[in-house]
Amino acid sequence: MQSPVKIWRNQKNIANLVGKTGKILSWTIVRVPPGDFTDQAPYPVVLVELESGKRVTCQLVDYEESNLAFGQSVVTIIRRVTHPDSDGVIPYGIKAKPLV
Amino acid sequence: MKIYVNGAVTTQFGELWGVSPRSLARGSVESALKDAGIESGQVEALFVGNMLSGMLGGQEHLGAFFAEELGLSVPAFKVEGACASGGLALHNAVNSLLSGQYATVAVLGIEKMTDHKPEDVATALMGAGSEEERSAGATFPGLYAMLARMHIQEFGTTEEQLAAVAVKNHYHASLNPNAQFHNLLTVEQVMGSSKVADPLKLLDCSPISDGAAAVILSSKKAKGSVEIAASVVATDSLGLAQRTHLTQLTSTQKAAQKAYHIAGIRADDVRVAEVHDCFTIAEVLAMEDLGFFPRGEAAVAIEKGETRLGVSTRVVVNPSGGLKGCGHPVGATGVKQVVELVEQLRGSAGKRQVDNATIGLSHNVGGSGATAVVHILKK
Repeated sequence: MQSPVKIWRNQKNIANLVGKTGKILSWTIVRVPPGDFTDQAPYPVVLVELESGKRVTCQLVDYEESNLAFGQSVVTIIRRVTHPDSDGVIPYGIKAKPLV
Repeated sequence: MKIYVNGAVTTQFGELWGVSPRSLARGSVESALKDAGIESGQVEALFVGNMLSGMLGGQEHLGAFFAEELGLSVPAFKVEGACASGGLALHNAVNSLLSGQYATVAVLGIEKMTDHKPEDVATALMGAGSEEERSAGATFPGLYAMLARMHIQEFGTTEEQLAAVAVKNHYHASLNPNAQFHNLLTVEQVMGSSKVADPLKLLDCSPISDGAAAVILSSKKAKGSVEIAASVVATDSLGLAQRTHLTQLTSTQKAAQKAYHIAGIRADDVRVAEVHDCFTIAEVLAMEDLGFFPRGEAAVAIEKGETRLGVSTRVVVNPSGGLKGCGHPVGATGVKQVVELVEQLRGSAGKRQVDNATIGLSHNVGGSGATAVVHILKK
């Protein structure tokens, strides 16, 4: 269940994570997704270690199959996460794209 | 003070569309009371292990809900810890006896999952992960798939070796009348099944299941008693990204080491183990984290049959069929594991009886390793 208040509260956390570079530690391709993600599947989920040492789990977008590799450089970006629910607030979050 | 399991029963596990949670609870607890040779009036408290009743069924307040159904006007509690809810309920029940508050209590592990469509169950199960993982659209197969990929990279573990876990556990399940699956699998069938979250395939994954298991615990010994020699819980970060290690579950290691110390045994003393194989990689991790095999060597050993009934000379793992073969009604699993160990230690496990089963270990994990519960049982 989405909450506009929760989305608003998380804005600063999301902003702090944008534009960071890092490397892929591991990845999978989700083919059987949770209900809110059915229209996006299949999609890759990656575990990334940022240069700061912090790790994040997020989707990889704008990628080619060869980018799904150990040590692939990526950069974090803001993207829509899923559909808005009845409150109408679009949930944005962190995803990663390959750095080429 | 010593704590004993005096009664232990599971229901059939599977897609039980015609059965309600109420009847699962009544069937399992009434049978456990009969097994323990006591009346319901002697039960002083009820501990319910369950994860998803609120998110899927819209029913919370499960302590009172099941106390009513069982005709017990006693203190009753729902204990939740994702897929470790059953193990956590047991731990809390053991503690209540050790405190001296009660002398005899009932523990019910229960889950009803197949009333709902898989996408909704996947969403609900992700309640066990971190907010970040939910935003990523990750699933539990996906999280364990990332652990599997790292284990493959670090130790050269193969997908065929992972498949061997499912093959073994289906063989064991074929000998268990209460198991969800009775069909044998081949490595080729596992390898050829559809991908769920690469590199994990459908037959690497435990199923969505309904089922219940109940035990009667007491500080008083009775006929058929099996002693709980240790009950230990450890925790770690909810999300994988916050972990120090990604090819081992630190929570399992911590819980196991403490449990061995309390029980006064070593990993090598365990003859029968029920471990948390929610995915095939999870059994490989468990074998290493519990200290049964050195890190990086469990997958080869499993493939050779070193943990298979009738082949193993040291420890048979998941004789019930495990989560993969017996089924995984999440709140029931931790209790079912102990029921299986009680049958093994009593020598009443029939076709799946492990020889010389004197010390048993159960290992129940919540999430991707945020909670680990280890119980050690002695004859």
